[in-house]
Amino acid sequence: MPPRTTWVSAVAIGLLLTAVVGLQAAREHLPPRTMPAGVSGNLLYVRSPEVMSRAALSYRLLLADAYWIRALQHFGRARQSHDAGQHYDLLYPLLDLTTSLDPKFNVAYRFGSIFLTEPPPGGPGRPDLAIALLKKGLAAQPRRWEFAQDIGFVYYRQRDYAAAADWFGRAAAIPDAPAWLQPLEAVTRTRGGDRATARRLWSELMKGAGAEDEWLRNESARRLRQLEALDSIDAYSRVVAAYRQRTGSQPRTWADLIGAGYLRSIPLDPDGRVMQLNPYWGLVTLDPQSPLNPLPTDEEPTP
Amino acid sequence: MRVIRLVAVNVFKESVRDKVLYNLVAFAVLLIVSTFLLGQLTAGQDIKIIKDLGLAAISLFGLMIAVFIGIGLVWKEVDKRSIYGVLSKPVSRQQFVLGKFFGLLLTLAVNLLVMTVAFYAVLALNAWMASPATLAAMQTPAADPAMLKAILLIGIELTLVTAIALFFSTFSSPFLSAGLTVGLWVIGHFNNDFRNFGDIVDSRAAVWLTRALYYLLPNFAAFDIKSQVIWGEPVAGRDLALTVLYGFVYVALVVTGAVTIFSRRDLK
Amino acid sequence: MDAIRTEALTKHYKVGFWRPRPYLALDHVSLSVGQGEVFGFLGPNGAGKTTTLKLLMQLTHPTSGRAEILGRPVGDVDVKRRLGYLQENPYFYDYLTAEELLDYFAGLFGFDAVTRRRRATQLLDEVGIGAERRLQLRKFSKGMLQRVGIAQALINEPEVVFLDEPMSGLDPLGRREIRELILRLRDRGCTVFFSSHVLSDAEALCSRVAILVGGRLAAQGLLSDLLARRVRGWEIVIASVATAEIEALRTRSDVERVLPLGGDRYSLTVPAMSPDQMLSALLAQGVQIVAVNPIRDTLEDLFVQKVTESPVARGLEVPQPCE
Repeated sequence: MPPRTTWVSAVAIGLLLTAVVGLQAAREHLPPRTMPAGVSGNLLYVRSPEVMSRAALSYRLLLADAYWIRALQHFGRARQSHDAGQHYDLLYPLLDLTTSLDPKFNVAYRFGSIFLTEPPPGGPGRPDLAIALLKKGLAAQPRRWEFAQDIGFVYYRQRDYAAAADWFGRAAAIPDAPAWLQPLEAVTRTRGGDRATARRLWSELMKGAGAEDEWLRNESARRLRQLEALDSIDAYSRVVAAYRQRTGSQPRTWADLIGAGYLRSIPLDPDGRVMQLNPYWGLVTLDPQSPLNPLPTDEEPTP
Repeated sequence: MRVIRLVAVNVFKESVRDKVLYNLVAFAVLLIVSTFLLGQLTAGQDIKIIKDLGLAAISLFGLMIAVFIGIGLVWKEVDKRSIYGVLSKPVSRQQFVLGKFFGLLLTLAVNLLVMTVAFYAVLALNAWMASPATLAAMQTPAADPAMLKAILLIGIELTLVTAIALFFSTFSSPFLSAGLTVGLWVIGHFNNDFRNFGDIVDSRAAVWLTRALYYLLPNFAAFDIKSQVIWGEPVAGRDLALTVLYGFVYVALVVTGAVTIFSRRDLK
Repeated sequence: MDAIRTEALTKHYKVGFWRPRPYLALDHVSLSVGQGEVFGFLGPNGAGKTTTLKLLMQLTHPTSGRAEILGRPVGDVDVKRRLGYLQENPYFYDYLTAEELLDYFAGLFGFDAVTRRRRATQLLDEVGIGAERRLQLRKFSKGMLQRVGIAQALINEPEVVFLDEPMSGLDPLGRREIRELILRLRDRGCTVFFSSHVLSDAEALCSRVAILVGGRLAAQGLLSDLLARRVRGWEIVIASVATAEIEALRTRSDVERVLPLGGDRYSLTVPAMSPDQMLSALLAQGVQIVAVNPIRDTLEDLFVQKVTESPVARGLEVPQPCE
């Protein structure tokens, strides 16, 4: 090809490429395409695990991987989406498909147990689905005590301490289960709502997490920091109450308390953010921006 | 121009006389018609399902046609040497490639038309047979003309796939071309995930790479407004216009590439 | 202006995938063909004849060197209006009929519908497949395709025609028809460039030839020039000779060979510049002279000589890559 036409081609291609990139960038500024409220744009053509198992032929494990990745992406996208209805509607079907194609895909069960239970906006808030998934896992692998423990945990978070204790007991009965499950059952039965029990549960979960379960470690660590924050709030609330009793008025800022000798420095939460003091009600709270919000609420220990 | 038109008409003639194409179109029409039967089974939701399946069928079969014919378009002629006959006439290589491209477009357009007619016919039939209560409950009319917008974008999407298949066909064998074309189509549908990659991954190099890919790779997901149209959600004119323009410019880019590569090639 | 002219036309190919070795297909080939000539482009298989033709039609691009057709550089789209080309082992669109193919190609030249139809019919009859004009090309035999190929090469009444092995696939009747067609083209003033390895055709048709061996031109020029110099000897056919005299002739030093021809005729091969001496001697012996024929080099002799002479053929050289 003569040099002149090569030149022309190169310029043409360069211009068109620039135009393509420009238009793609321009499209980013368009308002997002809407869907009617309550309808998720997510599509999953095949939901039935039986159909998929048959269709997958010899590639079941590979397909299980694909569905797992999709489940994670779906969860991540739903979590990050800012519109009014975060739709986790595909989380259970995808995890169900993953575990049907590969019943030994343990991380899928455990992920489901934590995040399916999570109430909105963090998750779909479906503990029933979490329990169904875990029961399926137990049916496939009866010796996995972690699944029984996780079911107990789901009940625990729903404050059904009797059922939770039952399941901790069943977990403990499985051979090779760790020794701390037995006392855990006892404690749950008597002092279910106790913060100390919760702390113990999350600690054990964190310690028991395998090398590849970083997500579980992170989640447990976060919960523990929340509990720590609750402890801090309690402690500083007591200080505020003491001040009020002594002086007859609410402290307006932390400086008042420091000046009065009740505190040595500005209180920080476990993440290092400054805690807030409401001067009118004397309430101590976390910085509203803190990622530890919303904090779990307490309950009185069962008699 | 006359030369391009002649080459294009020749491509159309070839596809019309090609058994594979007939089978594909026949199958597509059959599928669309069978959704009518499906509609009889599911109470109430049938028209939405027919729309769902119909648009998906049009999109998928159009894709198959574009790929099957596109990958062999140039390669077959070079391999069998029928191209010697044409290029020894006063036809430039550019005219040849363009003629092939427009010929395939013509074939695609005719097939889309046939499938669309079948689609609307089935919908109209279902609407005619449905009870007034069902019709009243639907958010969008059965034979909704708004779906033509989705079909238009499907058409543009397929034009781009055709251009890509043609591009690969100018230098690689049909098998490889098919794999690359379909591969690009699949990746293009996940294009939006590339943009969000940076939020999940920490490596800066990965973020740069994925953002570059996001801008450069064809964004096929942009042409998908099936959900919007089925649910009756409005699609902004500006959105439609910008997406169509994007499609055209990308097609121009790929076709220019194909023409450039083919002009420099030594034929065996 | 020459009809066809090449200057140091060279073409390398890269052979092999991982470490491509360059392969020299054509090495500085310079030839020229005058207008109205019938030019024979000869060479053994793999010599590079088809490569040369592809370069002339710009189906491939040369590594170096240039070529011109009718004064315009090769690849010029306009000059293709005046050219015709028949490829080796032609293959056309098998879903078209012969008529449709010619109509399509004629359309590419810009002829109107009436002219297209007329020329298609005329040419199909001329090459002898008028009866099959409505048959799809996929049903054509090799010989029939060859004829279609020739028809499409002539559809535009070209000034220069390139034919790559035009006789291949044809039966003897077909070959004769094509030979006559080429002669008709010559009579019309058309320049014919054809490559072949059937030397008898070339000998019968060409005014000028070139012999290509291993990518290089081993010989080029007017046929008469190339073959004229070599009169190797004389063949004298005699009759009515006694056996004893035949034996005597066999022993003579100036008789190369004595061949019985059946009956009582014999053929003597006399490797002399002039037969006079021999003839006188024979006449003196009372031998009956039936015929006296000069033995010239045929084109085949020249061809074989050039091929075996070539350093490539002798294995002394391997086709070398570019410098």
